[in-house]
Amino acid sequence: MKPKSKPLPSLIAVIDVGTHKTVALVGQLIDGKARMLSYSERRTDGVVKGTVTDLEKLQRCVHEVVNDVERGAGRALEEIYLSMSGPAAEGERVKGIISVPAADNRVTRQDLSDAVASAKRLEPPAGRATILYMRQPTILDNRPVVNPVGMTGRRLEVLFWRVTMDEANLRLRVGMVNAMSMMLRDFILASHAAACAVATEAEKQGGVLLIDMGAGTTDWILYYKEHILCAGSIPVGGEHLTNDISVALRVSRETAEDLKQRFASGVHRENDLNQTIWKDGDRGLGDQQFNRGTITKVSSLRYQETLEFVRKDILRQLDQIFPEHPTKLDQHLLPSGVILTGGSANLQDATEAVQLVLGLPARVGVPAFEVESFRKPEYAGVVGMMTAAITDAPVPVRRPRGFLATLRDLFRF
Amino acid sequence: MERAPSILLIGLGGAGCSMVSRLAPALPAEVQVLRVDTDARSVAEGGAGAALQVGRAQTRGMGTGGEPALGAVAAEAEEAALRRACIGPALVVLVTGLGGGTGSGAAPVVARVAAEAGATVLAFATMPFSHEGERRMRQANEGAIALGQKAHGLVFVHNDLLLQQVSNEAPLSETFAAADAWVGGALRALAAAFEPGALVPVDPVALRSILASPGSPTLFAYGVGSGAGAALQAAHAAGSCPLAHAPGAVTKVAALFVYVAGGPTMTSNDAFEAVGAVRQRFGGETTTLLCARIVPDFGDRVEVSVLGASLPFPKPAPKARKGAKAADAAQPLFGFATEETIRRGLFGGTPMTFIEGQDVDVPTYIRKAVRLPGG
Repeated sequence: MKPKSKPLPSLIAVIDVGTHKTVALVGQLIDGKARMLSYSERRTDGVVKGTVTDLEKLQRCVHEVVNDVERGAGRALEEIYLSMSGPAAEGERVKGIISVPAADNRVTRQDLSDAVASAKRLEPPAGRATILYMRQPTILDNRPVVNPVGMTGRRLEVLFWRVTMDEANLRLRVGMVNAMSMMLRDFILASHAAACAVATEAEKQGGVLLIDMGAGTTDWILYYKEHILCAGSIPVGGEHLTNDISVALRVSRETAEDLKQRFASGVHRENDLNQTIWKDGDRGLGDQQFNRGTITKVSSLRYQETLEFVRKDILRQLDQIFPEHPTKLDQHLLPSGVILTGGSANLQDATEAVQLVLGLPARVGVPAFEVESFRKPEYAGVVGMMTAAITDAPVPVRRPRGFLATLRDLFRF
Repeated sequence: MERAPSILLIGLGGAGCSMVSRLAPALPAEVQVLRVDTDARSVAEGGAGAALQVGRAQTRGMGTGGEPALGAVAAEAEEAALRRACIGPALVVLVTGLGGGTGSGAAPVVARVAAEAGATVLAFATMPFSHEGERRMRQANEGAIALGQKAHGLVFVHNDLLLQQVSNEAPLSETFAAADAWVGGALRALAAAFEPGALVPVDPVALRSILASPGSPTLFAYGVGSGAGAALQAAHAAGSCPLAHAPGAVTKVAALFVYVAGGPTMTSNDAFEAVGAVRQRFGGETTTLLCARIVPDFGDRVEVSVLGASLPFPKPAPKARKGAKAADAAQPLFGFATEETIRRGLFGGTPMTFIEGQDVDVPTYIRKAVRLPGG
């Protein structure tokens, strides 16, 4: 199939449905740059731990943000990009290998598309549908190359990071968008989007790990030599921190959330035990005092455990990718260290905890955006979706089977 | 005139039988022991008290293999024998470990049979360690809900909490010592109410009335003190007893039974002081029953046990509307301290999330058995 060069629609709408909040942004594409037209944010309803539990409530919530942004933009949305995160989306590496047929071993454009086609011929596991292919390095005779066309070699390998999703889950999301008379243009991997917003090209080139800890899930993505090497998700998020505090101090969710934001930490220090803190601070009726050490102990245990789960998940995937060399998570692989995004990146000493558990330097990723209230790590995902929607659209090799083709297949049986 | 023992202690399943066997030598005379299990070896070897093997036909004496349905069938098959054992004692204390087959499946059946025989049933249920995996945790939760509907009182003993009680270097055998102490304390307190000769006696009928209705939240706490101010010390220890301090456990109850036992030097004043401290911590506004007893060999030691229940939740009014959800009828009465809310907090009611065999919705500090500062 010929690469598509369909002009981008002038409106770009992205919706990030998280466990805690649903955010929509609408921008207009002018000279390759998006100008923000309107945005809306609402508390998500019907999603627990990153999984849809009440479709009706979620639909109402998404409908509301869509109405908001349509009013702000002054026109109806036709198609949207939807974020994709959490354990519902699973990623794996797929490979297409051909031996270069030409007598002079020169790689042609046709060879490249043959290799791509052979990579994409690999069926996803039963009950799952492919929603995304993301480019990984192309390898010619065991050497990674940027563009193999015109180079000489015998063996051409193309690699993709393929994201698949449970078919029932996919139907649910597509149905939800269609019910609002819109088309789902594509999915964007939330962690990749966050990286688009906060990681520089140089960082991705060198090697960087992004950990996006939202309310319900912690998604991570690892870039090496500019491409996605692997990505994954842990079903633990900021809500677990809140829950742990609520259970330990026997306080309501609201109080626990407030205490988490003010006093929780990624690292527990001995002198936290000497600090007494007040719930409201006015020492009036109903005010309660707590030992700060209890809060930092509970939160640091949870935060560091989650990072440990991330570390094990990454090592497991690296072992599959490089079965012959055991790969370590160190500065050799990730010279640019770790970037933290998502609401939990606001946790005090989060970067110290990363240094402790992963042994890598970390920084909090704050997206650059024209609206000031979005310049926070929890908005890196949705801001990055805008960038990803623009930059990812004209990929050099379009996938032969578009998203719609996948859908047609889905609804045929 | 010889009187039948007023309390029957039933150890059910592997965990229940072994705890009962450990407790048996030190039990008061008021307590009769019955071990019930599907495993023929456990029944034969356990030693202490009477034993009843259930499910001979179903399991051939091999245990249930962790299958609660089999445990329930096994107990139902021996209903007549269980009923005979439960006629007589005013109080049946059921000790079992939930998560496996016999405990989770048979416990609700045994509790029902005992209640039908006219006894007041107080159950102590140990819940599996977080590391025991998804299936056992699910079975334990299901068993807890079924048991809570049948027993008059249900106290959870979380194995994870036990780990927090002992130091990291303690031998495994010590892990269960805390649970034994708690259940032993409860039995001594309950037995004391039925034995004559208390310094401050309590009416056994009133004690039973505290646990009158199944499905109401149950509180149990136990504490020991010694030396000067032992009674108050014991009361404070009970106040911070992990059973009552477990996340999500009942904190304040309307009706309270407080048992204070001490050596010959303990005065009534000491006892009342202890009760005051207990009431401050746990409530007991409508009823506080006090039982105080002098135990000669206690020396300067004092132990305090607290048992309480808050008022049962009002039953939902029957819906007259046609087509009302049938699920309403099946709604558990047990809207309170199940395993779910105790350990999973705000995630109670959501599907469990397993990583490396642990339910990660349970707070990390509980799973890793980290004792919290000031907790």
